[in-house]
Amino acid sequence: MILSVRDLTVYFSSPRGEVKAVDGVDLDVAEGEIVGLAGESGCGKTTLSLAITRLIYPPGHVVSGQVNFEGRDILQVSINDFRVGYRWKKIAMVFQGSMNGFTPVFTVGDQIKEVLEIHEYQGDADSRTRELMKMVELDPTIAGRYPHELSGGQKQRAFIAMALAMDPPFLIADEPTTALDVVTQVSIMNLLKRLRKDRQISILIITHDLALLSEIVDRAYILYAGRMAEFGTAEEIFQDPKHPYTKGLIASIPTLKTTRIEGIAGFMPDLANQPPGCKFSSRCPYAMEICRKDEPQLKILQEGRRVACWLY
Amino acid sequence: MPAGSIEEPVITLENVSVFFSKKKLLGPLTVVKAVDSVSLQVGNGEIVGLVGESGSGKTTLGRTAIGLQRSTSGRILFTQDGTSVDVGAATGREWRSLRKHLQIIFQDPFSSIDPNMRVFDALRIPLQAQGVKDKKKIQVMVTRVFESVGLSTDVLWDYVFQLSGGQRQRVSIARVLLLNPAFIVADEAVSMLDVSLKGDILNIMRKIADELDVGILFITHEMAVAKIIADRIAVMYLGNLVELGPANEVVAKPLHPYTQALLQASPTIDPSLRDTIRTINIKGEIPNSTAFPSGCRFHPRCPFAMERCTNEVPGMREVERGHYVS
Repeated sequence: MILSVRDLTVYFSSPRGEVKAVDGVDLDVAEGEIVGLAGESGCGKTTLSLAITRLIYPPGHVVSGQVNFEGRDILQVSINDFRVGYRWKKIAMVFQGSMNGFTPVFTVGDQIKEVLEIHEYQGDADSRTRELMKMVELDPTIAGRYPHELSGGQKQRAFIAMALAMDPPFLIADEPTTALDVVTQVSIMNLLKRLRKDRQISILIITHDLALLSEIVDRAYILYAGRMAEFGTAEEIFQDPKHPYTKGLIASIPTLKTTRIEGIAGFMPDLANQPPGCKFSSRCPYAMEICRKDEPQLKILQEGRRVACWLY
Repeated sequence: MPAGSIEEPVITLENVSVFFSKKKLLGPLTVVKAVDSVSLQVGNGEIVGLVGESGSGKTTLGRTAIGLQRSTSGRILFTQDGTSVDVGAATGREWRSLRKHLQIIFQDPFSSIDPNMRVFDALRIPLQAQGVKDKKKIQVMVTRVFESVGLSTDVLWDYVFQLSGGQRQRVSIARVLLLNPAFIVADEAVSMLDVSLKGDILNIMRKIADELDVGILFITHEMAVAKIIADRIAVMYLGNLVELGPANEVVAKPLHPYTQALLQASPTIDPSLRDTIRTINIKGEIPNSTAFPSGCRFHPRCPFAMERCTNEVPGMREVERGHYVS
């Protein structure tokens, strides 16, 4: 495993009490694997990725847990060592809306070169920049342009190029295709697939777009209200979902084959003031008495397949 | 009769064009042809899905249809009880009474309603602008509308910022319904919502069209969403309509190469595609709408482009009954 998160808990302090954004979550990513993390807005998926990259700032704080990267708990590494030794070099991030993450006043190429310089890249920064642009299927001359001269898809590619600058073995992509057109979405997904194939890079994709996820990931994790609801291989999750929440999500995906989508009634519970029992019980069509009293733990269905639901 | 005529239209767009001219300092005058000679009708109780990539002009067309954007040329007719009014030419009192019938729901429920207002006030103010002043009466109307959009009246006295995205979008639909409109433009109304909420909102929109006989122009970039909700689908590319037809037919038998590409790009739920690079019959990205390619606007990206495509602009042809392609 290149990444293995164990029992990670992240709270945000608020006047209403501790908001349990991520609550005792485990997650693994193997070398060369593409793993998906999915859930609705507010389920804690972005918080989880920020915790892995040590970008949780007050009022947020990591309460407990480990983030083991290549066998070492990176939460214990000093923040300076993390910055020098891990960020960009080992773990690179493509954030939600990262296509707006470029500074408008410098060219895209200069911004990529800045990353190379700060991380003391040994070699020619110019030729590396050209190489990176080619890697993301962009014309190298685009490096000389300003961000506003690029389309959304080009900016997203350029940002992925920047993330790959230091040749990291692990990439976190948070909503990499949100706000892009459908045609562009497919091409970005193709790019990520090629990166994995050609460079054996491990990728954690975080998104609410399950349809997109289903076509690229090896395994998927479904997060609900800060807790892991279910995980398994893509085939298991998308073709044989077990958790009522996963079932509801998949039934809600509009595809060309569906004629009606149902949706899931109700809302996610307040994470600062959670009801007892299963967090999903208030929206669950199968809720039983026990669901409102005791919270289900992840049960092993098969090797590598777990679900947190009293039905199983 | 122009392409795509229907029997009982509520809105008729006739050769509508919207150009934006931009003068750069010391530079030449550039003209952006956002909408170029589009004809389209929406019937009573009908949902027309308007599909296209960003930059295709679909939002501009939607805004023009309800008079929020002046057209450069062409006519927009609003028809009710057999009489037609020219939306583009209406002014003063006539314009104000039209506003009530022509409504819009925006994409982002976080910026389309003032977060510091109480829900009740956000609903009351547009009604007052239309002359409904009695608070009791407003409350009765609100309660009725809330039921149809699936909101509890408990939230009436909450502030808008306390609501979730799904609740806010319901409030903006309720706000529009209160005015009892005849035609609604829904501009990417479900794009920002979580998957679990999309279904609900789509079902509400369908119910509005069916039960209240409201015509809806449903703007979306997702073919799958259009297919689920719309009766007919209109596909737009660089300011032109390229295809128009019954939703099921457009999806099952797409004629225009652009429509085919959009359908190919639509997501499926299929983990076996993991290692496949998906190919789409389209090259590059949508060009800037100031400098159009000659002939068919789609030809530089089209896999089937012939020499003729670079010279001649294709017109709309009816290939099957009610199914048009350009």
